[in-house]
Amino acid sequence: MCNACGNPAVPGHWTEAGAATPSDRLRARFHRAGLLDKVLRPYGLTAYDGGVVPGIQLSTLSGNQSIVPDLSAVWAEAERLLGRPIDPLDPVFLNGD
Amino acid sequence: MATDFADGRMRLVVLGGYLGSGKTTWLRHQLHVNSFGPVHVIVNEAAETGVDDVLLATASGLTLLAGGCSCCTGRQDLVDALRALCDQRSRLPSDGQRLQRIVLETSGLADPGAIVAAIQGDPVLVNHIVVQETIVVVDALHGMAQLQTEPLGRRQIGAADRLILSKTDAVDTASLALLRATLRALNPNAPHSAAVLGAAQPLSDLAEDAIAPPLPPLSDEDTRGAIFPTRLKIDEHINWSAFALWLSALLHARGNDLVRVKGVLPTPAGRLLLQTVRKVVQSPEILPQQENQSEDGTIVFIGRGFRPEDLKKSLQRFAG
Repeated sequence: MCNACGNPAVPGHWTEAGAATPSDRLRARFHRAGLLDKVLRPYGLTAYDGGVVPGIQLSTLSGNQSIVPDLSAVWAEAERLLGRPIDPLDPVFLNGD
Repeated sequence: MATDFADGRMRLVVLGGYLGSGKTTWLRHQLHVNSFGPVHVIVNEAAETGVDDVLLATASGLTLLAGGCSCCTGRQDLVDALRALCDQRSRLPSDGQRLQRIVLETSGLADPGAIVAAIQGDPVLVNHIVVQETIVVVDALHGMAQLQTEPLGRRQIGAADRLILSKTDAVDTASLALLRATLRALNPNAPHSAAVLGAAQPLSDLAEDAIAPPLPPLSDEDTRGAIFPTRLKIDEHINWSAFALWLSALLHARGNDLVRVKGVLPTPAGRLLLQTVRKVVQSPEILPQQENQSEDGTIVFIGRGFRPEDLKKSLQRFAG
């Protein structure tokens, strides 16, 4: 692929590729932050994206905060805070309520 | 098409390489710059969802063999497809313009050596087809890890007449030299060349005294279980954001076992082609609209260490 033989690629972080317009993009950010927060809460973490500044804000229940640029960084930061990665195929996660 | 070779037989190039090493990307560029001339391409994919055929649409002719690796379960399909090409060609006069070249892109789970043996061992094909060379694409970024742990990765290198190192822009010169020394130890006769996104790159000669680190001994059968493909149909109500959230978490935790993820998802931004190799995700390509888009929304996961049914369950939990 030399710019001529391939198809155009979506710029930016791959997780944000699905939105076509600025309003789509904003809606996608809110949707993502909501889902992410629900996943993280059982692990004692929260996520927030106000849509104004770039990045996702992660907090521990004790109040430690960090802002990370994208989802790849979210999982790396969560692993750092928890001491282990969040595994979506962990039986405890799969069978939790 | 060019005129016949002197012996009247077609030339076949076998293109191999590990999952996600860049076979299709390389071949796509070769078709674009026409380095093979008129050619019929046969693409084999281990999973039942074909994506590569969309990317290789510029070939003169294309056969997709999906749903079985040609070196084992899908071997008969390959032999049948090649025999069909031979039949078609035999009906045309030998002084006319007829098919001279075939490129077979193997699945990333195939041993090219076994495929070449199957073709040469077939009493019909051997009279019509000469295997010209076996080209194996090596992922400069992940190749060393694959050779350390995957018996198949080593067999693929051993089967090559020529090695193409892909993604050389993503590694430093020291690790590239280490990988090349290892490749030379595994297959001293195969020359190396480099390509980034299919386009050839300059590659200096490897120092004669470059020393390959010893590779750990591996038995033929991997103790961690075989790598297998599985398909996941993504429900329509799960949008890209939810899917990407889940997949990014999955790759972070399981990327070393999830060797390859591939598929097309419809989004407001277009039909996005998603491709990953271990933890690395390629920027999604926007595919043009096609007549048959029935495979859109089905993602192929190739790896080990997980139960296929858990993928769906896990995605649903993420998507709420």
